Order: sequence, then C-alpha cells, then structure tokens
Amino acid sequence: MLRLALADLWHERVLFLCSVLGCAAVLAPLIVLFGLREGVVAGLRAELLEDPRAREVVSVVNRTLEPALFERLAADPRVAFVVPRTRALSSTIVLENPARVASGLRVELLPTAARDPLLPDSNGLGADALVLSATALERLGLRVGDPVLASVPRSRDGQREVLTLPMSVAGAAPLSAATRDAAFATLPVLLLVEDFLDGAAGPQARPTSEDAARTRPFAGFRLHAARLEDVPALDRELRLTGIEVASRAEAVAGLLRLDRNLALLFLALAGAGGAGYLVSLGVGLWAQVERKRRDLALLSLLGLKRRALLMLPLIQASAVALMGALCAFAVAAAVAGVLNRAFAGTVAGERPVCLLSAAMGAGAAGITLAGGVVASMLAGLRAAGVAPAEGLAEG
Amino acid sequence: MLLSLRGVARAYRGDAAPFALEVPAFDLDEGEALALAGPSGSGKSTLLMMLALAAPPDAAERFVFAGQDIARHWRAGRRDALAELRARRVGVVPQTGGLLSYLSVEGNIALTQRIAGRPDVRRVRLLAEELGIAAQLGKRPAELSVGQRQRVAIARALAHRPALVLADEPTASVHPELADAVLALLKRECAAAGAALLVATHDPDRAARAGYPVLACETRAPGTDGIARSIFARASLAQAA
Repeated sequence: MLRLALADLWHERVLFLCSVLGCAAVLAPLIVLFGLREGVVAGLRAELLEDPRAREVVSVVNRTLEPALFERLAADPRVAFVVPRTRALSSTIVLENPARVASGLRVELLPTAARDPLLPDSNGLGADALVLSATALERLGLRVGDPVLASVPRSRDGQREVLTLPMSVAGAAPLSAATRDAAFATLPVLLLVEDFLDGAAGPQARPTSEDAARTRPFAGFRLHAARLEDVPALDRELRLTGIEVASRAEAVAGLLRLDRNLALLFLALAGAGGAGYLVSLGVGLWAQVERKRRDLALLSLLGLKRRALLMLPLIQASAVALMGALCAFAVAAAVAGVLNRAFAGTVAGERPVCLLSAAMGAGAAGITLAGGVVASMLAGLRAAGVAPAEGLAEG
Repeated sequence: MLLSLRGVARAYRGDAAPFALEVPAFDLDEGEALALAGPSGSGKSTLLMMLALAAPPDAAERFVFAGQDIARHWRAGRRDALAELRARRVGVVPQTGGLLSYLSVEGNIALTQRIAGRPDVRRVRLLAEELGIAAQLGKRPAELSVGQRQRVAIARALAHRPALVLADEPTASVHPELADAVLALLKRECAAAGAALLVATHDPDRAARAGYPVLACETRAPGTDGIARSIFARASLAQAA
C-alpha cells in the first residue's frame, strides 16, 4: 500500500512538489509570525519578569501596621514575598572594615528575609550576617566572607552611646537590588537598631529571633507580587485600605495591555492565516483525491478493501503535509535568521526578535498533518463510497 | 458450478428509457467460456458488474459464486468480504485496459497478485511472454500501443489465478484485425489457467468465430409500465436436460 502510494507520488513528482511548495508557501509566514510573537512578546515579558523591581510594591509613609496585616499579606496567593520594615529615619548604620582604621561608611539598612526576590543568591541570612551592595563592598574594601563591624550611635542625656554589632558579609547584592550604598539585614537587626535609637534597648542588647520580631507592629513593608499581572491590583487594593504605596503599577499595566493587544493581534493574524492555510491545504488534497477517483475505483474493483483504499490518499496527504511543514520550517528558519541579524539589539535587546523552537515546528507539522488527514479522509471516504463498478465502466 | 443465479434483477438508467435487467436463470461452470451478446445499452456491462461482485442486485432469489451466497453478502453490507472475493477469485479486463499510469507494466500485472496477497514473479514473466509483452515489462502504460495495453490488462486479470475472468468489450478499442487475436488470446489463456471466462460483446459473430458459445440477450420494448427489459437466461445443460 505504501509502495503503491509512493509510486504514484513519484510518478507525479512535479505535481507533488507543487503541492508541497504550495503548502510551505502559506505555512512559512505563519511560522515566522509565531516566531515573532514568541520573540518579541515573550522577550518583553521575560525582561520584565527578570527585573524583581517590576513586581515590587513598597509602602512609602510610616504607619503602625499590626502583625495581622502581614499575616494576611503573606497568606495572599498573589503575594510571593513580604517583609516589614522599620521607620525610615532609624534605618541607617555605620559600617567599618575591622582590617582598616577609620573606614566608617554610613549606609541604608534594608530588611530582607528568606526567599527575597531581590537577593536570589542569599537565602536564609543569619542574624549576624549582612548582604552589602556592590558599591558599599568596594568602598569598604570588603569581600564576601569578611567580618564587618556595624554600629549605631545615639545621644542620651548628653552622653554618646554606641551599639556595636560584629557581623560578617554573607553576600553581595545584585545591582538590581540596590544602586546606592546599602546593607540588607534580617528583621531582628533592624528592630534592634530602632529600639536602640528609641532608647528601648541598651548598647549591650543583641538581636531577638525572627519569630519574636514578627509579632511586633512595623512602620511599613516591601512586597513582591507573584505575577506581573497582580501588581496593579495589589497596588489598588493597598491604596484603598489607606496604605500609601509606590510600585510600577502604571508601567506594568501599560505593558500588560501591550502584551494583550499584541497577543490579540498575533492571534487574529494567525487565525485568519491559519484558517486560510487549512482551507487551501484541504482543497488541494480534496482535488487530488477527486482526480484519483478513477484509479481508486479501479483498485476497488480489483478487490482492494475499503480501509486500504482510504490509506492511499491518507499516505499521500501525510507526505505532502510533512514535506510541506518541513520546507516551511526551513524557510521560516532562514527568514528568522535574517530578521534576528537585522534587528539585533534594537527591538528586544539581546534576545532574538524571532524565536523558533522545535516544539513550534512539531506543532506546525502536527496541525498540518491533522488538517491534511481530515481533508483527505473526507475526500477519500467520498471516493471509496463510489461503487467499484465505476472502475470497469470508465475503464 | 461456479456461478448460479436465479431470479436476479437490477434496474438501471439506460440512454433513454428506464431499463430493467432480468436474469431469470444463469449458470456457468468452472473453466467454461461464454460470450454475452447484445446491442449497446442492453445491460451487458451491468450484468458483468454484478457478476464481478462490484454492484449489488436489486433482487435475487439466488446468487451463488464459488460456493458463497453473494446476495446475502450484499444484504449484510459485507463489502470487505466481497472485496476479498473479488481480489482472490475474479479477474477483470476493462474496456480500455484501465492500467495505473504510475506503475510499470510489470507492476500493473503484479497488482492483482499483491492485492490478493499472492506474489508470483515467475507467473508475471510467463504471462508476459505468452502474451508477447515481455519486452515491455519495464515500461509505463503510456509508452504502449492500445493492443499492448489490452494484453497487459489480460495478463493482470490472470496473474492472481482467478476462478472467473470478466471482460467488458475487450475488442471495442482495438483494431478489427486485433480484435480476433484478443478474443482468441483471452480464450486460450483462460483455458490454460483453468479460469471461467465471460466476455461482453456487441459483435456475436466475431465471438462465435473465435469459438465462444454465445448467449444473446433478449430485449423487450417498454410495456405498459414504460420500462424496457433486457433478459439473459441460461440454465445449465444438466438442468435443461
């Protein structure tokens, strides 16, 4: 059966080639279109997602926020990470490199906790460890693993007192986390600094446990949404409860709109093109079966069973569809290569504007094959339904 | 008895008036040759189609071929069983050859063997030699003359050793000189293969000259019901006696 079908194709190889090229001609632009969608839209999204700041929502006004609020936020599935912070005024410390004399540097003290998206490399920071920004590390002449002295001065009854904490550098914060001099520490450290400045703790006090720290009210927080799409909603809801926040909600909403519109545009184009493609493929294969009617009737007369008879156009349609998809993918890959070189570094940064994957190729081949099989099956059923008598009468 | 029909009828649309083909009785023995004669449009082809198991009768008291109840197969819609019988027991020579243009002569002759699942290269060669087309085995049908194509069709009809060979006007498209040769060839090859042979022809004299017994069709003009009738009747000699 296979031999018969292929012999027929080989005999009419010019026609076969035409069908394959016709199939490829319609399919190739569609594949390029999908590649563009993958490249541009997915690229934009990935870029946004890669920047942890895009999903960040921070409170900007000092308030007294009860632990219940943080529990609620932590339980919200749209919130991937939330960490409270102390008052902005009481969150600076002086860092010293013990190996250098008089190397004091005043830095911003920022809260962090386990699974902080800003510090993907520094998970599970201890109470005696700090993550420093690259600039702070450089100015202090420190490296990861070095000891560092953190101190906070206060004036009490005209007397100068200093809280000194011997700590170590647990990591360097990426540039996306902090561009200025900054140190990330766990909540107990921040609370201790605040308590010391408020006079609630003495110079000999040491940080409490994380759990104990979490039971206290805080002035504000920093949270990261689980998905980009959640940022605008979280921003709006927090404002509605009276908490002033800053986020990139506007920019995110704009980008999401662009993403949606682009996706819709691609879908419309691909839908129209894809439907046209399947119709043209189906019509071509149908015509082929109609042309083969006499041969099919003759084979039926010679005793070929119905199922075997159906296999003939099916095999031929599959061959056309597979070869067509292969050709189309080759053409699309060439076009994508040209596009990527032409648009290098302009539209989607370092990413290729047109991204073709093996899965897309398989998908294109699969859809083509399915369409071809359905079309030739319908046509074949019609042809096989013809009485075998036609083969003798027409001869 | 290879074929035995009783009370078989089939209506069909003739050139002008509605036609009814009636076969009150028709028997054919194994290995027997017979020419079916009648003017064109008399239903010869329709009868051949029915005997080739390719078209169902409208009514049949009895329709037995090679021991199988064909009428029941049709009634039960067992198309695959009928196809199987066609593939194994029937050989057909269409009017104009009906060869597949994309297969070589050898591939065309072997086609019936392959469909029947009985490949036999030696028989293909042998038939080609006997029919004088051995030199053409590698060619495509388009490169052959009409007479050669007819002989390829005959070889194909015999290649799978069928019990019955049906030929529909095998001489219609060949030169008159060639016509006698084709009829003689058919008869000789079928006799050699032990296959029964039915040839439809509009030229009973030529068939008779080639040594075929002739069954002429009896045609009746439209009666009160406006239907013209064609009647083929041939009971076996044993029964007639």
